Amino acid sequence: MRRLGELEAEIMDRLWAWRRPTTVREIVDDINVQRPVAYTTVMTVAGILYNKGWLLRAKEGRAWVYSPVRSREEYTAALMEDALGTSDDRPAALAHFVRQMGPEEVNALRKALRAAGKRPQA
Amino acid sequence: MTDALALVCYAAVVGVLTPEALARGTWSHRFPAPSVAMWQGLAVSFTLAVALASYHLIAPTGHLHNGMSGLLRFCGVPFATDVPGLTGVPAVAVPVGVMLLPLVCFGFHLLRARHARARHRSVLDLVGRRSARLRATVLDHETPVAYALPGRRPRIVVSSGTLRVLSPAQLDTVLAHERAHVTGRHHLALAAAEAFATAFRRLPLARTAREQTALLLEMAADDRALRSHPREVLASALYAMAEGRAPRGAFLAGGPDALVRLRRMLAPRGPARPVMRGVMAAGAATVPLLPVLACCLPGLG
Repeated sequence: MRRLGELEAEIMDRLWAWRRPTTVREIVDDINVQRPVAYTTVMTVAGILYNKGWLLRAKEGRAWVYSPVRSREEYTAALMEDALGTSDDRPAALAHFVRQMGPEEVNALRKALRAAGKRPQA
Repeated sequence: MTDALALVCYAAVVGVLTPEALARGTWSHRFPAPSVAMWQGLAVSFTLAVALASYHLIAPTGHLHNGMSGLLRFCGVPFATDVPGLTGVPAVAVPVGVMLLPLVCFGFHLLRARHARARHRSVLDLVGRRSARLRATVLDHETPVAYALPGRRPRIVVSSGTLRVLSPAQLDTVLAHERAHVTGRHHLALAAAEAFATAFRRLPLARTAREQTALLLEMAADDRALRSHPREVLASALYAMAEGRAPRGAFLAGGPDALVRLRRMLAPRGPARPVMRGVMAAGAATVPLLPVLACCLPGLG
């Protein structure tokens, strides 16, 4: 039994890749190429994604067709904004390896590396 | 009244004069974790001094200390003191409020950060790709980033840009650094420093403690990574990450933290000094007691 979150990700993966309104049947058939999954399960999870605001849906004939509210790139960009931590608003939420810095500071880093006798990798 | 004056002076020394002197040197960088504890000890000490001073100012005749029993009673239940003078709710409400303020801020910061992380994680789990090999989530983005989402359901995240600019050895080291943040629960120490800075917004101690805590926690994570990885690799990874995403022509005031860390990584290690470490831990544990002792000891005589 896979976790619900993984099925959510599988559904979103396909909708982002296909870039067109898709029925639950199409998603089920595609997942079934790799492993068996019940139609009702996918329908339920698609409903959850719709309720969470990830998917739009519209009636096409007798079936619902689903499409992502936003593209994968848009969501990624929002995460990156958090991750780059340019705003000082929520510093305690994420632990960055290194913060965004300006060219002068990067220069200073390079000099310090050189001074230690280690050539920075290009 | 003398007690109140002594406490105010103590609070001024700890809150205004000490922080700059402590932050100036780099000796604390040799012991990052005990140094974080020391900043926390100073913060507690300051809060207690202000709370006690406010008590003594409001109830100048109502001394808490009738010998040692008074000290113990104060540390226990301040309401139970049976001393003459202006006591009761007003005399106790202010000092209790002073002590509660940072605690309330701490709760607020913890909740807010947890909420932000949960929201971030829910998007991350759908958008990112889990890499079993790296034990991390990979975000498809050209800008190199590496970060940790600490907490009960932690995530280590790297962007595909990071995979591009780092060698496998460098990547390992950076991941070790991020895992150290999670296993060390650094977010709690950082939230505490944030809380103190929110409670006492303009206090030099609060500002410095927050900055220093953030830097010292990075150093602690660096040290953890350096236990199992060569220092040149971590240093060059730091440079590669910074270089890979510096915006051209823009200037960002990020502070010299990265440079300080890089120099520290490359500097030869001094011998481990467990004694010094112990002394600092003991100091961090003792410094909160100083204001209590300072104003209660005279009553012991």
